[in-house]
Amino acid sequence: MKIIKDALAGTLESSDLMVKVSPAADATLDILINSEVNHQFGTRIRQVVEETLARLGITAGLVVIDDKGALDCAIRARVQTAALRGAECKQPDWSTL
Amino acid sequence: MLDDFSFFTVDPAADPPLQAEIRALLGKCGLDYEDGIEAFVVCRPQRQVIACGGLESNIVKCVAVDPDYRGESLSLKTLSEAMQLAFERGHSHLFLYTMPENAAFFRGCGFYPLVEVPGYATLMENTPVGIRSYCARLGAQRREGAVIGAIVMNANPFTLGHRYLVSQAAEVCDWLHVFVVAEDASLISYRDRYRLVETGIRDIAKVTLHHGSQYMVSRATFPAYFFKEKGMVGACRTAMDLLLFRNYIAPALGITQRHVGSEPFCATTRKYNKDMIYWLQEAPTGAPAVKVIEIPRSVKQGSPVSASEVRRLLAAGEFERIAALVPPATLELLYDKYRPVGFADG
Repeated sequence: MKIIKDALAGTLESSDLMVKVSPAADATLDILINSEVNHQFGTRIRQVVEETLARLGITAGLVVIDDKGALDCAIRARVQTAALRGAECKQPDWSTL
Repeated sequence: MLDDFSFFTVDPAADPPLQAEIRALLGKCGLDYEDGIEAFVVCRPQRQVIACGGLESNIVKCVAVDPDYRGESLSLKTLSEAMQLAFERGHSHLFLYTMPENAAFFRGCGFYPLVEVPGYATLMENTPVGIRSYCARLGAQRREGAVIGAIVMNANPFTLGHRYLVSQAAEVCDWLHVFVVAEDASLISYRDRYRLVETGIRDIAKVTLHHGSQYMVSRATFPAYFFKEKGMVGACRTAMDLLLFRNYIAPALGITQRHVGSEPFCATTRKYNKDMIYWLQEAPTGAPAVKVIEIPRSVKQGSPVSASEVRRLLAAGEFERIAALVPPATLELLYDKYRPVGFADG
């Protein structure tokens, strides 16, 4: 699946994150993470984002994340929502999520 | 309780009492109300607006939180709401202006600084890759040479004066990049303007024609330009646009000179030309200087050729006089599509 349109999920409030996805210029998957807790959890956040996108089968798009210290479950939920919106996926395969 | 602070959206023109409350809040925060704002997100828990954020197409403006309610991250909530609203209205690429001392706050909201005019304002965009990927795309059209020129034109509409400027500039450059302002805020639509420029300069060698962008004389980089007929000329607003050109666009294409026609009529354009010399050549920035070359306007029938003059003649329906100032393609389009209402054929 590819991101085919701009989409947004989440907020900038504490313990949440805002996920913006947009179509890729050159068919690659780019993930940019800006986190308040980057020093402590940057690697883990990236891992969760990458895993979530892989499970959804997202292969191309630009994913920009502004994280305000969200827990893994919140990161997964926001990334899923933004990605499914951006891929215009009406019938997600819930069993993979 | 933060949970009580819910937001709603309002069209300020449709709700004067609420608009007055927003004005009062902005005043309290040292900000001016801006008339172009199409929608506000507001938080009004008890018959009083305590936080607001405005949108004018893709520009976030007038973000304020009542000093009595600060310290509860209401500003983050306001920004989130404003961004959601912008997305719903079809704008995903957002810009905002702020005072340099507040840039760090917006940096934490997903906005990245583009340019700063020290002590005055910082222009930011809501993506870390916006200007970078734009410059990468431009860079693909780079041409090598010692003298690389650039012209940015609105061409509203394309006249013989524009053609003269392009041909004069092309002669002294190894290569010339011409940009057409893409913002659709002028009398003549962008599609028509671009097409007329394309037709009008096709036979001039060593020229690349580019589509304009958000980063070049757009509503975001240079809001005052499009309201010049209302007499508003932003004192420092030209700086943002010119610094974007010097710091990002010129290096991407290796541009060494910017060519511009001298401006006899329009005060905004004249000021822009004057500011150009300061911001492109003299101001201290990390980027190399871009030399500004002012080319005297071509003169027809004893008067300089200018697009604003053509628009004036158009409004009066004086097509015979327009014919002397524009190429045939422009004349034809103006007659077919932009003829004043009630102007009789023949």
